Amino acid sequence: MPDWREIARQGLGPLPFEADRENEIILELANHLEDLYSDSVRRGKSEAEALQSALSAAADWDKLRREIEFAAKEEVIMNYRVKTLWLPGACTIVLSSMVLRLLQIPSAPVPRVLWPWWNSTGLVIYWWWLLSLPVIGAIGAYWSRHAGGRLMERAMAVSLPALGMVGLPLLAFPFVLVRDLIHYQRFPLVPMALLLLGWGVVPEAALLVGALPFFRAATSGSHPAATSP
Amino acid sequence: MKECETNIGNQIKRGSAELAILSVLAEGPLHGYEISKRIERQTQGALRFNLASLYPLLYRMERRGWLKAAWEEPAGGRRRRYYRLEEEGKRRLVPLREEWRQLFQALDSLAGVSHA
Repeated sequence: MPDWREIARQGLGPLPFEADRENEIILELANHLEDLYSDSVRRGKSEAEALQSALSAAADWDKLRREIEFAAKEEVIMNYRVKTLWLPGACTIVLSSMVLRLLQIPSAPVPRVLWPWWNSTGLVIYWWWLLSLPVIGAIGAYWSRHAGGRLMERAMAVSLPALGMVGLPLLAFPFVLVRDLIHYQRFPLVPMALLLLGWGVVPEAALLVGALPFFRAATSGSHPAATSP
Repeated sequence: MKECETNIGNQIKRGSAELAILSVLAEGPLHGYEISKRIERQTQGALRFNLASLYPLLYRMERRGWLKAAWEEPAGGRRRRYYRLEEEGKRRLVPLREEWRQLFQALDSLAGVSHA
């Protein structure tokens, strides 16, 4: 009797699943091949013919492996993104918003306004907020790495607060541009650049500084598909 | 155009395979090999599964909650993974049967293609 498990294992090659799940799949396919073989022998085929018949049911092992991986992929990737990107990202957004909100109460230290431009516009810096961002970035990157996130997921999870801060102004920019050109005959490039700098670039840099040690460390998690389907 | 035809073909194949699996499992739990043999027998060999067409689909249906699989070892037999129809699968089977009935009716009225 052929070793059906070994045939299935060699045919499929390594699967990107946990060992238990991989063994289950191999055992299930081996059972199927053995049933095909036994049926053929019972119907009077020689062992060689029965073996050939059983193997023909799995002629394309590559396709079988791809299909099995694909069947597992959708949910696995969704779970992976939730764990490594959206949850740590939500954490960094909530923490940075809370700190910023605390600094906006009347008794909090006033923000430092640098490079004032046209009376009210300038580079607004909430120093205490900026100082808190490396810690928040470190928390987000650590969480993402701990959940198995790769460099891309860690960087995205850490960057979400800064992206959120500048995303809305960027969307509104065309309307602001039209308004300023029509009503004030001016091009709002400098205010917009200051806004991007103060709420996007500088906070992003602060977040990344804190996250950097967790970018360098080796990935402790696994490939997105490395769980059972 | 070619890609469109391929997609339609794949969807029909997958849809008919899902209907076939849900239908045989509605009669009781079966393991993978029994599922393929039962379908082949009941369709007089018109529908045949190989490993690549059966197991990925079973795993996909299991993931969607249509089926539940469990390892069992009958007395004197080998350890097998049996598939059972879940409530979600039963709910899915009803509209699936209706969709295919309507498709065959439509083809019948269009081209005289009648189902058995």
